[in-house]
Amino acid sequence: MQNNKAQIKIWTKLQTKTGKRSVFPMVILGIFSSFIAVGLACCIAQILGMLLVPSLSQSIGFSPFMLLISFVILFLLKGLIVYSEDLIATKIGLKARHRLRSEFVQHIMQIGPSILYRQSGGGLASLVVDQVEALDGYFSRWLPASILWFVSPCIILVCIFFVQPWAALVIGICGLMVPIAQAIFGIGAAVAARQQFLAMTRLQARFLDRIQGIATIVLAGRAEDEAKKIAESANELRIRTMKVLRVAFLSSASIDCAMIIAILLVALMDVQHFTSVGGEHTIPVVHALFALLIIPDFFAPLRSLALAYQDRAKLAGAAASVVELPEVPKKSESDHIFNENNSIHITFNKVSYVWDEKRGNAIENISFEVAPNSTAILIGASGAGKSTIISMLLGFIKPTSGQILFNGIDLITIKHESVSALTAWIGQKPVIFSGTIRENILFAKPNATEAELKKAVQGAAIDQYLSALPNGLDTMIGEGGYGLSGGQAQRVAIARAYLKDAPLLFLDEPTAHLDPVTEQDIFTSLIQLSQNRTVILATHSALGQRLQGKHIQLDHGRIIAETEVE
Amino acid sequence: MSDIQDPLRQQETPKAAFQQIFIVWKPHIASLTIGIIFSLIALALGLTLMSSAGGKIAFAAMGMLVISSVFLKLLGGGRLLMRYVERLYTHNVMFKAIADLRVWFFAKLSKGAAAGLGFRHSGDVLSRLVSDIETLDGLYLRLMLPFAGSILTFLVLAFVIGSVHLPLAFCIAFLYILAGFVCPLVSALMTKKHGQTILNSVAQLRIGVLDFIQGLREIRAFGAEDRITALLDAREKKLFEKQFKQAKIIALMSFLSFISSQVAVLLILAAALDIGFHGIGAAHIVVCLFLTITAFEVVVPLTKAGGLAGQIINAATRVVGVNKGHGYDVPKGSEEAPEQTDIELNDIGFQWNKDRPFVYRHLNLKISQGERVAIIGPSGAGKSTLAALLLKVIAPQEGKITLGSKDLAVLTEESVRKKIAWLSQNTHLFDDTIRQNLLLSYPQATDDELWQALSEAAVADVVKAMPDGLDTWLGEGGIKVSGGQGRRIALARTLLSKAPILLLDEPTTGLDADTEMEFFKILNQISTDRTIILIAHRLTGTEKLDKVWRLSDSCLICEN
Repeated sequence: MQNNKAQIKIWTKLQTKTGKRSVFPMVILGIFSSFIAVGLACCIAQILGMLLVPSLSQSIGFSPFMLLISFVILFLLKGLIVYSEDLIATKIGLKARHRLRSEFVQHIMQIGPSILYRQSGGGLASLVVDQVEALDGYFSRWLPASILWFVSPCIILVCIFFVQPWAALVIGICGLMVPIAQAIFGIGAAVAARQQFLAMTRLQARFLDRIQGIATIVLAGRAEDEAKKIAESANELRIRTMKVLRVAFLSSASIDCAMIIAILLVALMDVQHFTSVGGEHTIPVVHALFALLIIPDFFAPLRSLALAYQDRAKLAGAAASVVELPEVPKKSESDHIFNENNSIHITFNKVSYVWDEKRGNAIENISFEVAPNSTAILIGASGAGKSTIISMLLGFIKPTSGQILFNGIDLITIKHESVSALTAWIGQKPVIFSGTIRENILFAKPNATEAELKKAVQGAAIDQYLSALPNGLDTMIGEGGYGLSGGQAQRVAIARAYLKDAPLLFLDEPTAHLDPVTEQDIFTSLIQLSQNRTVILATHSALGQRLQGKHIQLDHGRIIAETEVE
Repeated sequence: MSDIQDPLRQQETPKAAFQQIFIVWKPHIASLTIGIIFSLIALALGLTLMSSAGGKIAFAAMGMLVISSVFLKLLGGGRLLMRYVERLYTHNVMFKAIADLRVWFFAKLSKGAAAGLGFRHSGDVLSRLVSDIETLDGLYLRLMLPFAGSILTFLVLAFVIGSVHLPLAFCIAFLYILAGFVCPLVSALMTKKHGQTILNSVAQLRIGVLDFIQGLREIRAFGAEDRITALLDAREKKLFEKQFKQAKIIALMSFLSFISSQVAVLLILAAALDIGFHGIGAAHIVVCLFLTITAFEVVVPLTKAGGLAGQIINAATRVVGVNKGHGYDVPKGSEEAPEQTDIELNDIGFQWNKDRPFVYRHLNLKISQGERVAIIGPSGAGKSTLAALLLKVIAPQEGKITLGSKDLAVLTEESVRKKIAWLSQNTHLFDDTIRQNLLLSYPQATDDELWQALSEAAVADVVKAMPDGLDTWLGEGGIKVSGGQGRRIALARTLLSKAPILLLDEPTTGLDADTEMEFFKILNQISTDRTIILIAHRLTGTEKLDKVWRLSDSCLICEN
C-alpha cells in the first residue's frame, strides 16, 4: 500500500510536469486577460464617477467618447481572448488524452495476455477509454488554473494597490483566506475523490460482467434481484459522490464568502469615507468604484481553480488504476530474431509453472522434446496443465522455473514478434472481433489473396455453413459471435490458423465444440495442415488420441507416460 | 476491422425518450421542483445583494444613506447559505433519480436480453449504462435549473429597468434574450448532431478497446499489435475531430453571448453619459448597471451548457432505446405454468429473421414428464434455437408449443422459466465467489445443498482444494479455473435449481472423455423424477435415456 502511494505520487508528478509545459499559451492569455479586466473596470469607474460627481468631468481628463470607445475595444479583445482560450484548451486536452491513451495501450500490449489473469477486462477498458477521457479537464482546465489562481489575483492586487492601498489590503486578506480554506477542505476532498473513483471503476466492471451474463441472469429468473443489487451499487456511488461534492461546494462557498466579505468591507468603508467629513470626499469616488468593480475579477481565477478541482481528483483516480497495472517485464538482453523458414526443434527442460502459491504447481518439472516437423499430443483431464503448456509456448506466460528451448535458444530471450511470426494457434474459446467473418479470418494475415482466403475457408469447413448466412463471408458478427454457434466460431479460428500457414502449430482443444462428423473433417484437414510443421496438440478427444505422433500423458501437472504412436 | 454499421440506430425519438425518463423520475418530481425553487431563491438573493450594494454606494457618493449595512450583511449571509443548501439538495435529488434510471435500464435490458446480446456489444451497452446515464444528470442540473434561473433573472431585469426607462429596458431585454436564450439554443441545435456522433465515436472506441483487451491472446499470437494500434488511433482521431468541431461551435457562441453582455453594459454606460438614453437618475443608472452585470453573469455560462443539450438528447434516446429492434415477438402470457410438465411441440416453424432461412419447418416433438431424452444434431442445426423456444425467449411463427397441455403463449415467462433449469454453452460465470455464482439459481440454498450440487457435478473435490473453498473468487468469465472446471461449476448451479425440467444444452462441452463419462453416470443416478432434456451433437453411450431425437433437415426423427 505504501509502495502504491509512492507510485501514485510519482506518476501524478510526471503528468503535472509534462502537462505544465503545454499550458504556457493559456497562462499568457490569462495574464493578458487580467490587465484587460483592470482596463474595463477603469472605464466603468470613470464613467460612473462622472455620473455621480459631475464636477469630476473636468478633472478626469478623458472625454466620455474616448472612454466608451476604449471600453468597446477592451471587451472585444477580451472576447477574442476567451474564444482563443477555449480553443487552445480543447487542443491541449486532445493532445494529452492521445498521449495517455497511447501509453496505456502500449503498456497493456507489452505485458500481453497475462494481464487478463490478473485484471478484469472491463476495468482495463474503462481505464483506456473513460478514465483517459475524464482526464481532459485536468490538462485543459486544472493545470492553467493552478498557475493563474496565483498570478492573476497578484496582478490585479498590484493595480488596486496603486489606486487605493487600504482596499488592496482588505481584498488581499480576504483572498488569502481562500487558499487556507481550500487547504483545509482539500485534504478531505482528495481522499473522498480517490475512493469515489475506485468505486466507479469497480461498479463499471460489475456492470460489464452482469451485462455479459444477462441471459444467464434472466433465465435463472433473477433479473429483479440483480436489479436490486445494481440499485445498491448505484446508491453507494451516489453517497460517495455526494461526499466529494459536499467538500467541493464548501470550498466554492468559501470563495463566495471571501468575495462577499471583500465587497461589503470595501463598500462600507467607501461609504464611511464619503460621508464622514460632512459631505467632503476623503478619497476620489472613481478610486472607490474601481476597487469595488474589480473584486469579482480578483476572485474569478480562484473560482476557476475550485471548479477545476474535480478534474484534479480525476487524475488521482486514474493514477490509482495506473499503478495497479503490472510492470512491463524487463526485456532480456539478447533479443534473438528467428528466421521464418527454420524447422524448429522444441525442448522443455524441467519446466514448472505456478499460477497461485496457495494452489501449488500447475506444471511440475516437465521435460520433453518435439523434433522438427513432428507432432506431439498432450493428453490429460481438464486441469492437468495442457493449456498452461500451450500458454507458455505462445509466450503469454513465462515458466516459473526451467526453460523452453526453440532450436536450443531459450524462448524468453527471443523477440515475441518473431515467435508470433512463426506460430499459428487455435485456442479453446476464440475471440471473434466485431466485424465481418471475412475480416475475422483475415485478422491472421491482412494481405492474404482471395485464393488463400478461399483455401482457408475450405480447410476449416466454413463453406458448409456460409450459404445459410445472409451475406456470406461479409456477414457481421457481434461480440462473442452472434449468429455463429460455438462450433462455427471455432471454425473461424481454425481458418485463421490455415491462413497464417506458419511453421509452428499449437492447438488447444481445437475440436472441443464440434460434432463428430465435423470433428472428423477438421482432424483430416488438421493432419493435412500438420505436414512439414512442428505441431503440439492439446486434446482429450478420443479421435485426437488416435492421431500419429508423440503422445504425452499429463496428470496434475506431471508427465505420467510418453509413447510414440504410429 | 470495419466500423460497426448500425448497432446504435435503434433509437427513440427525443420526445418519447424524455417522456419515458420523466415517468421513471416521477417519484422524484416533488423534490426536483423544490430544488428548482431553492435555486431560484438563492439566485434572487444574489441579484438583490448586487443591486443593493451598487445602490448603497451610489446614494452614499451623493451623500445619502438609503440602504442599511445590516440589510446588506443579511443578504450576503443568506445568499451564501442558500447557495450551498441549494447545490447540495439539487445534486442529491438528481443522483437519486439517476440511480433509479440505472435500475430501470438494467430491468429493461433484461427483458429483451434473454436471447443473448446479439448484435449489441456489451461495450456499447456498458457505455449506455454508465456514461450516457451520467450525462443525463445535466438535463436537470445544467439545463433545467439554469434555464429556470435565467427566466427569473429576465423578469427581474425587465421589471427593474423597465420601471426606470422603457426603451433602455427593451434594448437590454433584447440583448439578454440573445445571450441567454438564442446563443444557448443555437449551440444546442448545432451540437445536437455532433453530440450524436460523439457518443457513437466513444462507443466505437470502447468496442475497439474491448476487442483489443479481450483479444490480447489473438493479437499476440497473430502479431497484430501494429494493426490494432492503428485501428485504435484511427477511432480516437475520429472522435477528436468531432469533439474539436463541437468545441469550436460552442466557443463561437460563447463569444457572441459575451459580446451581447458587454454591449448591454455599454448601453447603460452610454446612458450614464447621457448618450442614447436620456433622463435617467444617477442612482438608478448604478442600480441598473450592477443588476445587468450580475444578470448577464448568470446567463453567459449557459451557452456552454447549451452545447451539452445535444449530448443530453442523444444520451436520452440511446438509454431509452436500448431494446428497440431487439425484442423478439413473444406473446405475453398471464397464466401460471401448470404442475404437470409434459412438453409437446406441434408442427413448429421458426426463422430468426425474415431474410434468413427457416430453422425448423413442421417440427414435432413430445416429451412426457420425468422422461429422459436427448436431442442430437450437428452444430448449426438449431439445437440451441430449440432451447430458446422452450424457454419462451422466442416464439414460433408456425405451430404451437404446450407445457402440461397449456399453450406456452398464455403462460408467463417467469413461471415457464421456474419450471426449466437451463445450462448452455453460453452460461456465464460471474466475477464473484463460487457461492454467489451457485446461489444465482436458488438463493435459499444451504451450504450442504451447495456441496451436494457441486459433487453431483463432479467438481466438489476441486472446490474443496481451493484455498477459500466456496468463497473462492472466480475471475472475470471464471478465468481462474480451467475451462472444464468452470463448466462443471455452471452445471452445479443448474443442478441446484428446483425446476422439474433440466434443459442441458451441450453440458459436457470442454470436459475430457473420462470426466464426461463420470458426469453422465452421476446424471443417470440423480433427479429421477425430473425431466431431462439433453441437447448434444453426439452421444457417449453412457447416458441412460428413454428416447433419442435426431435433428435433420429442420425436423426431428425419433430413434429409441
